[in-house]
Amino acid sequence: MTTVVGLPVNTLAERYLARWELVSGGILLAVIAALLLLGPALSGHDPGYVDLQNRLTAPNALDHLLGTDQLGRDLLARLLHGLRWSLTAALGATLLAFATGTVLGLIAARRQSLLGTAIRQVTAFAQSFPVFVLAICLVAIVGNSLVTVVLVLGLVTWPVFCRVVQAEATSLYAREYVMAAEMLQMGQPRLYFRHVLPGLLPSLSVLLAFHFADMLIAESALSFLGIGAPLGAATWGNMLQESRAYLISAPWLLLVPATAIVTLVITANLLGDGLRRHLE
Amino acid sequence: MTLMSLRPVRDLAVLLLGTLTLLFFLLRLTGDPALVLAGPDASDQQVAVIRAEYGLDRSLPVQYLSYIGNLLRLDFGRSLADGSPALRKVLIAYPTSLLLAAMAMAVTLLISVPTGAWLGARRHGAARIAVRWLLFVLQGVPGFVTALLLVQIFAIELVWLPALGSSGLSSLILPTISVASFLAPKLTRLIEANVAAAMGSPYVRTARAIGASDREILWRHALPNALLGATALVGTQFAFLMTGLVIIESIFAWPGIGWLLVQSTTSVDFPVVQAITLTVVVTVFAVNTFVDLMQRRVDPRLRHREPLAPGVAA
Repeated sequence: MTTVVGLPVNTLAERYLARWELVSGGILLAVIAALLLLGPALSGHDPGYVDLQNRLTAPNALDHLLGTDQLGRDLLARLLHGLRWSLTAALGATLLAFATGTVLGLIAARRQSLLGTAIRQVTAFAQSFPVFVLAICLVAIVGNSLVTVVLVLGLVTWPVFCRVVQAEATSLYAREYVMAAEMLQMGQPRLYFRHVLPGLLPSLSVLLAFHFADMLIAESALSFLGIGAPLGAATWGNMLQESRAYLISAPWLLLVPATAIVTLVITANLLGDGLRRHLE
Repeated sequence: MTLMSLRPVRDLAVLLLGTLTLLFFLLRLTGDPALVLAGPDASDQQVAVIRAEYGLDRSLPVQYLSYIGNLLRLDFGRSLADGSPALRKVLIAYPTSLLLAAMAMAVTLLISVPTGAWLGARRHGAARIAVRWLLFVLQGVPGFVTALLLVQIFAIELVWLPALGSSGLSSLILPTISVASFLAPKLTRLIEANVAAAMGSPYVRTARAIGASDREILWRHALPNALLGATALVGTQFAFLMTGLVIIESIFAWPGIGWLLVQSTTSVDFPVVQAITLTVVVTVFAVNTFVDLMQRRVDPRLRHREPLAPGVAA
C-alpha cells in the first residue's frame, strides 16, 4: 500500500480501535478486580508463611501454582497481597494528585489572584522537575509506609492535573453559560460542580488512567529500591528486589511480579488510550 | 544585558531556594535532624557532636539563615559515609551519569526519529499497526523491569555482557538499552503525532501541489518542523531521563549520581542527598533553558513568546 499524505485521519478505524482498547482494557480490569476480591482464598496460603522445607519450588499445579520464594513463601499469595498494596498505593496517590491538582488548577484559572500566579509558576517549574528524585528524598526522610508513599507521590505529582485543569477551566470560565451563572450570584462551589467540572471530566478521565499507570510504576520502583514499602512486605517491588539473588536458580521469582506489573500498567494504558480516542 | 536574559537566573534561584527550603523544613519536621544525620547506630556523644557541628542547638530561623548562607558558598557539609565534601562526591559521580545519559539519548533518537517519521507519514498497513502495538506494549514495561529482564537474558543465561559495574564499553550496553527502552516509545509517539500534524498543514499541501515527492515532503518539509515542535518537550523528557537514571543506575551498580542518590538515601547521608538534589535541579534547568534559547534562535515564530513555553500534555 502506498503512503497517503495529507488526508484526514481515518476516523472509522480510530473509533474501532477505541472500542477494542476499551473492551480489552475493561476485561483485564474485571479479571484484576476478581483477583483482588478473591485474593487470599485463591492461593490457600498465607503470604508471610515461611516454609523452609519447600524453598524455591518451581511453579506446579499441585500446591504452589506460581512456585515459592527463597523462604518457601507461596508466590501466588504474595502476588495477590502485592496487588492489593500496589492498587491502594497507586489509586491513593492518583486521587490525591487529582484532588489537589484540580482545586489548585481552578484557583489558578482565576487570573487576577496572587495565589493563582504562584500556582501557575510552580506548575510551570514542576513540568520539567525530576519529581521522582524529590519523592525519593521525601520518602527517605519521612520513613517508609503505605501512607508515606501515597502522600509523597500524590503531593509531588499534582501539577500534572493542575496544568490541564487550569488550561481548560480558563476557557470554560469564559463561556457564556458560566458567566451567566456567575452573574446570577451562583456560589463558587455550586458553579464549579454544576458547570465547570462536567466540562473538565473527559480530559480528566484520560489523565486519571495514565497517571494511575505512572503511579503504579513509581510505587513499585520505590519499593524495588527499598524506599517505598517496609522491608519484607509482600509487594511487587520487594519481590523483584528479592528475586535478584536467585536469577539463575529461580527465574520465576523475577518473571511472576514482572508480568504482574506489566499487565496492570498495560490495562491502565489501554483504558486511557481507549478513552482518549473515544472522546476525540 | 536586557531583563529578558536575566529571567532564567531569577527562575533558577527561586526554584533552588524552594526545593532546598522544602528539604530543610521536612528534615526538621520529622524529628531530630541530629539523629537522622548521625545515623541509627550513633552514640549520644556522636549525636551531640553533630548537633553542635550543624548548629542544631540554635533557633530555627538562625539555623535556616546559616543553612542558606552555607548553600550560597556551595558548602553542603561532609558526607556522613566517608567524611569527604558532599558536593565533591557528587561531582565525581556526575560525568559517569552524563555518559550514560548521552548514550541513552543518542540511542533513543536513533530509534525514535526514523520510526516516528515513518509512523506519522503512513496512515495504513499491517506493518504500521504492528509497530504501534509493539510501542504500546513497550510503553507498558517499566524501565527497571526491562533492565532486570535484560540482565536475566544477556548476563545470566547467555553470559554475553556484564550485569554490573562500569568497566569498559560492554558494561555500558545493558544500562543504555534499559534507559532507551522507556524513553523511546514516548518520544516516538510524540514525533509521530507531530509529523502527522505537519503532514496535514498548508505548506505540505503546497509542496505537494508544486510536485514534490512523498520522500521530499517527509524529510525536507514535515520532519524538520515536527522535530522543532518535539524539542519543546525536551524538558519533560529530560526530567524523565533523570528519574530513569536513578533506578537503572542502582540496578547495574553504575556509579553515577542516581546510584549515589539511592545509596545515600538508604544510608541517610543527608548532605549528599542535598548536593545531588541541587545538581539535578541545576542540570535539568540548564538543559531546558538552553533548549528554549536554541528554539528561539532557530524558529523566528517563538521569539516573541513568553519564556518557558507551556508544554503539551505528554
